[in-house]
Amino acid sequence: MSSRELLSFRLNGHPVEVPCPSPRVLLDLLREDLRLTGTKRGCDLGTCGCCAVLVDGRPTLSCLTLARLVDGRSVETIEGVSPPRGLNPVQAAFVAHGATQCGFCTPGFVVTATALLRSNPRPSRAEIERAISGNLCRCTGYIKIIEAIEDAARTEE
Amino acid sequence: MHLDPFELHRPTTVDEVVRLATELAGRFDYLAGGTDLLPNYKMHLNAKPHLVALEDVRELRGHSDSRLGAMERLADLEADRTFGRTHPGLTDAIGEVATPLVRSSGTVGGNLLVDTRCFFFNQSYFWRSSLGFCLKADGDRCHVVPQAERCYATFSGDLAPALLVLDAEVEVAGPSGRRRLPLGALYDPGGDGIRRTRLAPGDLLVAVHLPPGPPGRRARYKKLRVRPSYDFPELGVAVAGAWDSERVRSLRLAVGGVETLPRRFDDLTDPLVGTPLTPEAVNRLADEVQRRVRPVHNTFLPPDYRRRMVGVYVRRAFAEAREGSAG
Repeated sequence: MSSRELLSFRLNGHPVEVPCPSPRVLLDLLREDLRLTGTKRGCDLGTCGCCAVLVDGRPTLSCLTLARLVDGRSVETIEGVSPPRGLNPVQAAFVAHGATQCGFCTPGFVVTATALLRSNPRPSRAEIERAISGNLCRCTGYIKIIEAIEDAARTEE
Repeated sequence: MHLDPFELHRPTTVDEVVRLATELAGRFDYLAGGTDLLPNYKMHLNAKPHLVALEDVRELRGHSDSRLGAMERLADLEADRTFGRTHPGLTDAIGEVATPLVRSSGTVGGNLLVDTRCFFFNQSYFWRSSLGFCLKADGDRCHVVPQAERCYATFSGDLAPALLVLDAEVEVAGPSGRRRLPLGALYDPGGDGIRRTRLAPGDLLVAVHLPPGPPGRRARYKKLRVRPSYDFPELGVAVAGAWDSERVRSLRLAVGGVETLPRRFDDLTDPLVGTPLTPEAVNRLADEVQRRVRPVHNTFLPPDYRRRMVGVYVRRAFAEAREGSAG
Protein backbone atom coordinates (compact mmCIF):
# COMPACT_ATOMS: atom_id res chain seq x y z
CA MET A 1 0.00 0.00 0.00
CA SER A 2 1.61 3.32 -0.99
CA SER A 3 0.91 6.48 0.99
CA ARG A 4 -1.61 7.57 -1.65
CA GLU A 5 -3.67 4.43 -1.24
CA LEU A 6 -6.66 4.25 1.02
CA LEU A 7 -6.76 2.59 4.39
CA SER A 8 -10.03 0.70 4.77
CA PHE A 9 -11.44 -0.74 7.95
CA ARG A 10 -14.68 -0.95 9.93
CA LEU A 11 -15.14 1.89 12.37
CA ASN A 12 -17.92 1.49 14.93
CA GLY A 13 -19.65 -0.94 12.61
CA HIS A 14 -19.39 1.14 9.44
CA PRO A 15 -16.86 0.72 6.64
CA VAL A 16 -14.53 3.69 6.21
CA GLU A 17 -11.87 4.51 3.64
CA VAL A 18 -9.36 7.20 4.38
CA PRO A 19 -5.93 8.16 3.02
CA CYS A 20 -3.24 7.43 5.58
CA PRO A 21 0.56 7.87 5.52
CA SER A 22 2.70 5.22 7.28
CA PRO A 23 3.73 7.26 10.35
CA ARG A 24 0.12 8.11 11.32
CA VAL A 25 -0.94 6.49 14.59
CA LEU A 26 -4.53 5.38 15.02
CA LEU A 27 -5.20 8.04 17.68
CA ASP A 28 -4.30 10.88 15.29
CA LEU A 29 -6.30 9.32 12.47
CA LEU A 30 -9.38 9.06 14.69
CA ARG A 31 -9.17 12.49 16.25
CA GLU A 32 -7.76 14.62 13.47
CA ASP A 33 -8.82 12.97 10.22
CA LEU A 34 -12.09 11.34 11.26
CA ARG A 35 -13.05 13.91 13.91
CA LEU A 36 -13.91 11.33 16.53
CA THR A 37 -12.59 13.24 19.51
CA GLY A 38 -14.06 11.04 22.24
CA THR A 39 -10.79 9.08 22.29
CA LYS A 40 -8.39 11.24 24.30
CA ARG A 41 -4.72 12.02 23.90
CA GLY A 42 -3.18 11.85 27.37
CA CYS A 43 0.50 10.95 27.58
CA ASP A 44 0.81 9.87 23.91
CA LEU A 45 3.36 7.24 25.08
CA GLY A 46 1.19 4.34 26.25
CA THR A 47 1.29 5.10 29.96
CA CYS A 48 -2.14 6.52 30.71
CA GLY A 49 -4.78 4.48 28.82
CA CYS A 50 -6.84 7.56 27.84
CA CYS A 51 -6.58 6.58 24.16
CA ALA A 52 -7.86 3.00 24.59
CA VAL A 53 -9.99 1.66 21.72
CA LEU A 54 -11.01 -1.87 20.73
CA VAL A 55 -9.33 -3.42 17.69
CA ASP A 56 -11.11 -6.64 16.73
CA GLY A 57 -12.47 -6.51 20.29
CA ARG A 58 -9.04 -6.22 21.96
CA PRO A 59 -8.36 -3.22 24.19
CA THR A 60 -5.59 -1.36 22.36
CA LEU A 61 -3.57 1.80 22.93
CA SER A 62 -4.40 3.86 19.84
CA CYS A 63 -1.42 6.17 20.46
CA LEU A 64 0.94 3.23 19.93
CA THR A 65 -0.83 1.57 17.00
CA LEU A 66 0.13 2.45 13.45
CA ALA A 67 -3.14 3.24 11.70
CA ARG A 68 -2.04 1.29 8.62
CA LEU A 69 -2.03 -1.88 10.71
CA VAL A 70 -5.80 -1.72 11.30
CA ASP A 71 -6.37 -2.16 7.55
CA GLY A 72 -9.19 -4.71 7.14
CA ARG A 73 -9.93 -4.78 10.85
CA SER A 74 -12.73 -3.60 13.07
CA VAL A 75 -12.18 -0.63 15.39
CA GLU A 76 -14.57 0.44 18.14
CA THR A 77 -14.11 3.78 19.88
CA ILE A 78 -15.96 5.28 22.82
CA GLU A 79 -18.47 6.60 20.28
CA GLY A 80 -19.08 3.01 19.16
CA VAL A 81 -19.35 1.28 22.52
CA SER A 82 -22.21 3.65 23.34
CA PRO A 83 -25.60 2.70 21.90
CA PRO A 84 -27.04 5.17 19.32
CA ARG A 85 -29.35 6.51 22.01
CA GLY A 86 -28.64 6.55 25.74
CA LEU A 87 -25.74 4.96 27.55
CA ASN A 88 -24.22 1.49 27.77
CA PRO A 89 -24.37 -0.16 31.23
CA VAL A 90 -20.81 0.89 32.10
CA GLN A 91 -21.52 4.51 31.19
CA ALA A 92 -24.82 4.47 33.09
CA ALA A 93 -23.05 3.09 36.16
CA PHE A 94 -20.34 5.76 35.90
CA VAL A 95 -23.06 8.42 35.92
CA ALA A 96 -24.94 6.79 38.80
CA HIS A 97 -21.78 6.51 40.92
CA GLY A 98 -20.34 9.91 40.04
CA ALA A 99 -17.29 8.02 38.79
CA THR A 100 -16.01 10.96 36.80
CA GLN A 101 -14.29 14.05 38.13
CA CYS A 102 -12.65 16.04 35.35
CA GLY A 103 -13.78 13.31 32.96
CA PHE A 104 -10.70 13.25 30.73
CA CYS A 105 -9.78 9.64 31.50
CA THR A 106 -13.39 8.43 31.38
CA PRO A 107 -13.54 7.29 27.71
CA GLY A 108 -10.47 5.09 28.26
CA PHE A 109 -11.91 3.59 31.44
CA VAL A 110 -15.28 2.94 29.78
CA VAL A 111 -13.66 1.21 26.79
CA THR A 112 -11.41 -0.91 29.02
CA ALA A 113 -14.26 -1.82 31.36
CA THR A 114 -16.60 -2.63 28.47
CA ALA A 115 -14.01 -5.04 27.05
CA LEU A 116 -13.53 -6.61 30.50
CA LEU A 117 -17.26 -7.25 30.95
CA ARG A 118 -17.55 -8.76 27.47
CA SER A 119 -14.82 -11.30 28.20
CA ASN A 120 -15.57 -11.74 31.91
CA PRO A 121 -19.17 -10.76 32.77
CA ARG A 122 -18.74 -11.43 36.52
CA PRO A 123 -15.29 -10.09 37.41
CA SER A 124 -14.13 -10.05 41.02
CA ARG A 125 -13.05 -6.74 42.52
CA ALA A 126 -9.43 -7.85 42.15
CA GLU A 127 -9.98 -8.65 38.47
CA ILE A 128 -11.52 -5.21 37.93
CA GLU A 129 -8.61 -3.50 39.67
CA ARG A 130 -6.15 -5.44 37.56
CA ALA A 131 -8.01 -4.80 34.30
CA ILE A 132 -8.01 -1.02 34.78
CA SER A 133 -4.45 -0.82 36.10
CA GLY A 134 -3.28 0.63 32.78
CA ASN A 135 -5.80 3.48 32.94
CA LEU A 136 -4.71 6.46 35.00
CA CYS A 137 -7.13 8.88 36.68
CA ARG A 138 -5.13 11.91 37.79
CA CYS A 139 -8.08 13.09 39.89
CA THR A 140 -7.48 9.71 41.62
CA GLY A 141 -11.16 8.79 41.83
CA TYR A 142 -10.55 5.07 41.54
CA ILE A 143 -12.93 3.81 44.22
CA LYS A 144 -16.03 5.13 42.48
CA ILE A 145 -14.77 3.85 39.14
CA ILE A 146 -14.28 0.35 40.56
CA GLU A 147 -17.70 0.45 42.24
CA ALA A 148 -19.31 1.60 39.00
CA ILE A 149 -17.81 -1.31 37.07
CA GLU A 150 -18.94 -3.76 39.78
CA ASP A 151 -22.40 -2.28 39.52
CA ALA A 152 -22.41 -2.46 35.70
CA ALA A 153 -21.50 -6.17 35.95
CA ARG A 154 -24.48 -6.76 38.24
CA THR A 155 -26.85 -4.77 36.02
CA GLU A 156 -25.84 -6.62 32.88
CA GLU A 157 -26.82 -10.01 34.29
CA MET B 1 4.09 13.86 19.23
CA HIS B 2 4.75 12.85 15.67
CA LEU B 3 6.67 10.04 14.07
CA ASP B 4 9.29 10.87 11.46
CA PRO B 5 8.55 9.44 8.01
CA PHE B 6 9.45 5.79 7.42
CA GLU B 7 8.54 3.13 4.93
CA LEU B 8 6.33 0.40 6.37
CA HIS B 9 6.80 -3.19 5.17
CA ARG B 10 4.29 -5.96 5.87
CA PRO B 11 5.80 -9.35 5.01
CA THR B 12 3.70 -12.46 5.56
CA THR B 13 6.30 -15.26 5.73
CA VAL B 14 9.52 -15.80 7.65
CA ASP B 15 11.47 -16.14 4.37
CA GLU B 16 10.14 -12.80 3.20
CA VAL B 17 11.15 -11.18 6.51
CA VAL B 18 14.68 -12.58 6.27
CA ARG B 19 15.01 -11.33 2.69
CA LEU B 20 13.83 -7.84 3.67
CA ALA B 21 15.98 -7.75 6.79
CA THR B 22 19.07 -8.73 4.80
CA GLU B 23 18.39 -6.10 2.17
CA LEU B 24 17.63 -3.33 4.71
CA ALA B 25 20.36 -4.27 7.22
CA GLY B 26 21.10 -1.38 9.58
CA ARG B 27 18.32 0.79 8.15
CA PHE B 28 15.25 -0.82 9.75
CA ASP B 29 13.62 -1.93 12.97
CA TYR B 30 11.24 -4.82 13.44
CA LEU B 31 7.83 -3.70 14.67
CA ALA B 32 6.29 -6.29 17.01
CA GLY B 33 3.76 -4.89 19.51
CA GLY B 34 5.23 -1.40 19.15
CA THR B 35 4.64 -0.59 22.80
CA ASP B 36 8.30 0.26 23.43
CA LEU B 37 9.54 1.01 19.91
CA LEU B 38 6.94 3.65 19.07
CA PRO B 39 7.42 5.69 22.28
CA ASN B 40 11.14 5.71 21.44
CA TYR B 41 10.36 6.78 17.85
CA LYS B 42 8.10 9.55 19.16
CA MET B 43 11.05 10.80 21.21
CA HIS B 44 13.27 10.52 18.11
CA LEU B 45 15.48 7.87 19.69
CA ASN B 46 17.38 6.01 16.97
CA ALA B 47 14.42 6.01 14.55
CA LYS B 48 15.14 4.17 11.29
CA PRO B 49 13.86 4.87 7.74
CA HIS B 50 12.17 1.45 7.45
CA LEU B 51 9.87 -0.54 9.74
CA VAL B 52 9.24 -4.23 9.11
CA ALA B 53 5.92 -5.07 10.78
CA LEU B 54 5.75 -8.70 11.86
CA GLU B 55 2.11 -9.03 12.68
CA ASP B 56 1.01 -10.66 9.42
CA VAL B 57 3.57 -13.48 9.74
CA ARG B 58 1.42 -16.37 10.90
CA GLU B 59 4.30 -18.64 11.87
CA LEU B 60 5.35 -16.21 14.61
CA ARG B 61 1.99 -16.55 16.39
CA GLY B 62 0.55 -19.05 18.80
CA HIS B 63 1.74 -20.96 21.83
CA SER B 64 1.75 -24.43 23.32
CA ASP B 65 3.20 -25.84 26.55
CA SER B 66 6.62 -26.05 24.92
CA ARG B 67 6.68 -23.32 22.25
CA LEU B 68 5.97 -19.60 22.35
CA GLY B 69 5.75 -17.78 19.02
CA ALA B 70 7.84 -14.60 19.03
CA MET B 71 4.76 -12.55 18.09
CA GLU B 72 2.48 -14.17 20.64
CA ARG B 73 0.83 -11.42 22.64
CA LEU B 74 1.53 -11.40 26.38
CA ALA B 75 -2.19 -10.94 27.11
CA ASP B 76 -2.99 -14.17 25.23
CA LEU B 77 -0.53 -16.13 27.37
CA GLU B 78 -1.95 -14.49 30.48
CA ALA B 79 -5.50 -15.43 29.50
CA ASP B 80 -4.56 -19.12 29.10
CA ARG B 81 -5.16 -20.43 32.61
CA THR B 82 -3.80 -23.89 31.88
CA PHE B 83 -0.55 -22.34 30.72
CA GLY B 84 -0.52 -20.26 33.89
CA ARG B 85 -0.84 -23.32 36.11
CA THR B 86 1.91 -25.21 34.32
CA HIS B 87 4.36 -22.28 34.07
CA PRO B 88 4.11 -20.38 37.38
CA GLY B 89 7.40 -18.45 37.22
CA LEU B 90 6.95 -17.41 33.62
CA THR B 91 3.37 -16.37 34.34
CA ASP B 92 4.60 -14.17 37.20
CA ALA B 93 6.88 -12.38 34.77
CA ILE B 94 4.28 -12.01 32.00
CA GLY B 95 1.69 -10.61 34.42
CA GLU B 96 4.17 -8.01 35.67
CA VAL B 97 5.09 -6.54 32.30
CA ALA B 98 3.80 -2.95 32.21
CA THR B 99 -0.03 -2.73 32.14
CA PRO B 100 -2.86 -4.87 30.72
CA LEU B 101 -3.19 -2.40 27.82
CA VAL B 102 0.50 -2.74 26.99
CA ARG B 103 0.34 -6.54 27.33
CA SER B 104 -2.62 -6.56 24.96
CA SER B 105 -0.21 -5.59 22.15
CA GLY B 106 3.19 -6.48 23.67
CA THR B 107 4.80 -9.71 22.50
CA VAL B 108 7.15 -12.43 23.74
CA GLY B 109 9.88 -11.56 21.22
CA GLY B 110 9.45 -7.84 21.80
CA ASN B 111 10.03 -8.30 25.51
CA LEU B 112 13.11 -10.49 25.01
CA LEU B 113 14.65 -7.94 22.65
CA VAL B 114 13.31 -4.78 24.28
CA ASP B 115 15.71 -1.84 24.11
CA THR B 116 17.76 -1.07 27.20
CA ARG B 117 16.78 1.92 29.30
CA CYS B 118 18.59 4.77 30.99
CA PHE B 119 17.51 7.97 32.70
CA PHE B 120 19.67 9.92 30.23
CA PHE B 121 18.37 8.08 27.15
CA ASN B 122 14.59 7.74 27.58
CA GLN B 123 13.99 11.47 27.33
CA SER B 124 12.66 13.84 24.70
CA TYR B 125 14.94 15.18 21.97
CA PHE B 126 14.77 18.63 23.60
CA TRP B 127 15.80 17.25 27.00
CA ARG B 128 18.69 15.30 25.51
CA SER B 129 19.87 18.17 23.34
CA SER B 130 20.01 20.43 26.42
CA LEU B 131 22.34 18.14 28.35
CA GLY B 132 24.31 16.85 25.37
CA PHE B 133 23.57 13.59 23.60
CA CYS B 134 24.88 10.23 24.81
CA LEU B 135 26.60 7.16 23.37
CA LYS B 136 23.33 5.33 22.89
CA ALA B 137 21.74 8.01 20.70
CA ASP B 138 23.25 10.85 18.70
CA GLY B 139 26.28 11.45 20.97
CA ASP B 140 29.67 10.14 22.00
CA ARG B 141 29.79 10.17 25.78
CA CYS B 142 28.11 8.50 28.73
CA HIS B 143 26.46 10.64 31.41
CA VAL B 144 26.29 7.75 33.87
CA VAL B 145 29.88 6.49 33.72
CA PRO B 146 31.72 9.51 32.28
CA GLN B 147 34.89 7.71 31.13
CA ALA B 148 32.94 4.81 29.66
CA GLU B 149 33.43 3.65 26.12
CA ARG B 150 30.46 1.33 26.41
CA CYS B 151 26.81 1.92 27.20
CA TYR B 152 25.46 1.03 30.66
CA ALA B 153 21.73 1.32 29.90
CA THR B 154 19.73 -1.30 31.79
CA PHE B 155 18.17 -4.46 30.33
CA SER B 156 14.51 -4.01 31.19
CA GLY B 157 12.67 -7.10 29.97
CA ASP B 158 10.89 -9.31 32.49
CA LEU B 159 10.57 -12.49 30.44
CA ALA B 160 14.29 -13.11 29.90
CA PRO B 161 15.23 -13.98 33.51
CA ALA B 162 12.09 -16.11 33.89
CA LEU B 163 12.90 -18.00 30.66
CA LEU B 164 16.63 -18.32 31.39
CA VAL B 165 15.93 -20.35 34.53
CA LEU B 166 13.73 -22.72 32.48
CA ASP B 167 16.65 -23.44 30.09
CA ALA B 168 14.62 -21.95 27.25
CA GLU B 169 16.01 -22.05 23.73
CA VAL B 170 15.36 -19.58 20.94
CA GLU B 171 14.74 -20.40 17.30
CA VAL B 172 16.33 -17.92 14.92
CA ALA B 173 15.82 -17.70 11.15
CA GLY B 174 18.58 -16.11 9.09
CA PRO B 175 19.98 -15.93 5.58
CA SER B 176 21.66 -19.34 6.03
CA GLY B 177 18.62 -21.09 7.52
CA ARG B 178 17.26 -21.89 10.95
CA ARG B 179 19.21 -22.45 14.13
CA ARG B 180 18.42 -23.03 17.78
CA LEU B 181 20.49 -21.68 20.62
CA PRO B 182 20.10 -21.39 24.39
CA LEU B 183 18.41 -18.11 25.29
CA GLY B 184 21.50 -17.15 27.28
CA ALA B 185 23.59 -17.37 24.10
CA LEU B 186 21.30 -14.89 22.34
CA TYR B 187 22.67 -12.14 24.59
CA ASP B 188 26.28 -11.13 23.99
CA PRO B 189 28.23 -9.90 27.03
CA GLY B 190 31.09 -9.03 24.66
CA GLY B 191 29.02 -6.27 23.06
CA ASP B 192 29.38 -2.57 23.76
CA GLY B 193 26.06 -2.35 25.59
CA ILE B 194 24.46 -0.95 22.45
CA ARG B 195 24.94 -4.12 20.38
CA ARG B 196 23.75 -6.67 22.91
CA THR B 197 22.78 -9.80 21.01
CA ARG B 198 24.40 -12.31 18.72
CA LEU B 199 21.71 -11.75 16.10
CA ALA B 200 23.34 -11.02 12.73
CA PRO B 201 21.97 -8.91 9.88
CA GLY B 202 18.96 -10.67 8.42
CA ASP B 203 18.22 -12.69 11.57
CA LEU B 204 14.71 -12.99 12.96
CA LEU B 205 13.65 -14.40 16.34
CA VAL B 206 10.96 -16.95 15.42
CA ALA B 207 10.02 -18.70 18.66
CA VAL B 208 11.02 -19.69 22.17
CA HIS B 209 11.17 -23.40 22.99
CA LEU B 210 10.72 -24.71 26.52
CA PRO B 211 12.34 -28.09 27.20
CA PRO B 212 10.53 -30.37 29.68
CA GLY B 213 11.54 -29.61 33.26
CA PRO B 214 12.35 -31.98 36.13
CA PRO B 215 9.33 -33.42 37.96
CA GLY B 216 8.11 -31.18 40.76
CA ARG B 217 9.87 -28.09 39.46
CA ARG B 218 8.99 -24.90 41.24
CA ALA B 219 9.54 -21.37 39.98
CA ARG B 220 9.04 -17.74 40.86
CA TYR B 221 9.78 -14.33 39.36
CA LYS B 222 9.95 -11.32 41.64
CA LYS B 223 10.09 -7.78 40.33
CA LEU B 224 10.85 -4.48 42.03
CA ARG B 225 9.42 -1.38 40.42
CA VAL B 226 8.36 2.04 41.59
CA ARG B 227 4.73 1.96 40.44
CA PRO B 228 3.53 -1.66 40.70
CA SER B 229 0.96 -1.17 37.94
CA TYR B 230 3.20 0.19 35.25
CA ASP B 231 6.96 0.50 35.53
CA PHE B 232 9.88 -1.30 33.97
CA PRO B 233 11.89 -3.38 36.47
CA GLU B 234 14.34 -1.81 38.88
CA LEU B 235 15.35 -5.43 39.31
CA GLY B 236 13.89 -8.84 38.51
CA VAL B 237 14.90 -12.15 40.11
CA ALA B 238 13.88 -15.54 38.73
CA VAL B 239 14.44 -18.93 40.35
CA ALA B 240 13.40 -22.37 39.13
CA GLY B 241 14.31 -25.84 40.22
CA ALA B 242 13.31 -28.97 42.06
CA TRP B 243 14.29 -29.07 45.68
CA ASP B 244 13.17 -30.00 49.17
CA SER B 245 14.72 -29.77 52.60
CA GLU B 246 16.65 -32.99 51.90
CA ARG B 247 18.20 -32.31 48.55
CA VAL B 248 18.38 -29.93 45.59
CA ARG B 249 17.79 -31.86 42.36
CA SER B 250 18.11 -28.88 40.04
CA LEU B 251 18.40 -25.13 40.51
CA ARG B 252 18.72 -22.05 38.31
CA LEU B 253 18.77 -18.38 39.27
CA ALA B 254 18.79 -15.34 36.98
CA VAL B 255 18.68 -11.60 37.52
CA GLY B 256 17.49 -8.90 35.12
CA GLY B 257 16.84 -5.19 35.38
CA VAL B 258 20.16 -4.33 37.04
CA GLU B 259 22.80 -4.60 34.32
CA THR B 260 23.06 -4.28 30.53
CA LEU B 261 22.04 -7.92 30.10
CA PRO B 262 20.13 -10.52 32.10
CA ARG B 263 22.49 -12.92 33.83
CA ARG B 264 22.26 -16.49 35.13
CA PHE B 265 24.41 -17.58 38.10
CA ASP B 266 25.10 -21.26 37.35
CA ASP B 267 28.47 -21.23 39.13
CA LEU B 268 26.63 -20.38 42.36
CA THR B 269 23.68 -22.72 41.95
CA ASP B 270 25.37 -25.83 40.43
CA PRO B 271 27.36 -26.61 43.63
CA LEU B 272 24.07 -26.68 45.57
CA VAL B 273 22.74 -29.64 43.56
CA GLY B 274 22.71 -32.73 45.79
CA THR B 275 22.86 -30.68 49.00
CA PRO B 276 19.94 -29.75 51.27
CA LEU B 277 18.42 -26.32 50.56
CA THR B 278 18.65 -24.91 54.07
CA PRO B 279 17.73 -21.32 54.97
CA GLU B 280 21.45 -20.71 55.48
CA ALA B 281 22.22 -21.91 51.96
CA VAL B 282 19.57 -19.57 50.53
CA ASN B 283 21.01 -16.70 52.55
CA ARG B 284 24.55 -17.38 51.36
CA LEU B 285 23.35 -17.57 47.75
CA ALA B 286 21.36 -14.33 48.10
CA ASP B 287 24.36 -12.53 49.64
CA GLU B 288 26.71 -13.68 46.90
CA VAL B 289 24.35 -12.70 44.05
CA GLN B 290 23.87 -9.32 45.71
CA ARG B 291 27.64 -8.88 46.00
CA ARG B 292 28.15 -9.61 42.30
CA VAL B 293 25.52 -7.51 40.55
CA ARG B 294 26.64 -4.09 39.33
CA PRO B 295 23.76 -1.64 38.92
CA VAL B 296 24.68 1.92 37.94
CA HIS B 297 22.82 5.15 38.64
CA ASN B 298 20.58 5.23 35.56
CA THR B 299 17.12 4.31 36.81
CA PHE B 300 14.80 5.81 39.41
CA LEU B 301 16.10 4.00 42.50
CA PRO B 302 19.72 4.43 43.66
CA PRO B 303 22.08 1.59 42.64
CA ASP B 304 23.12 0.67 46.18
CA TYR B 305 19.48 0.19 47.16
CA ARG B 306 18.82 -1.91 44.07
CA ARG B 307 21.86 -4.06 44.80
CA ARG B 308 20.76 -4.69 48.38
CA MET B 309 17.23 -5.44 47.23
CA VAL B 310 18.55 -8.11 44.85
CA GLY B 311 19.45 -10.15 47.96
CA VAL B 312 16.04 -9.54 49.50
CA TYR B 313 14.27 -10.55 46.29
CA VAL B 314 16.32 -13.74 45.96
CA ARG B 315 15.16 -14.79 49.44
CA ARG B 316 11.56 -13.89 48.62
CA ALA B 317 11.67 -15.76 45.31
CA PHE B 318 12.69 -18.96 47.10
CA ALA B 319 10.11 -18.46 49.85
CA GLU B 320 7.31 -18.00 47.30
CA ALA B 321 8.32 -20.51 44.60
CA ARG B 322 5.31 -22.51 43.42
CA GLU B 323 5.06 -25.89 41.78
CA GLY B 324 3.79 -26.22 38.22
CA SER B 325 3.97 -29.26 35.99
CA ALA B 326 6.19 -27.54 33.42
CA GLY B 327 7.85 -25.01 35.72
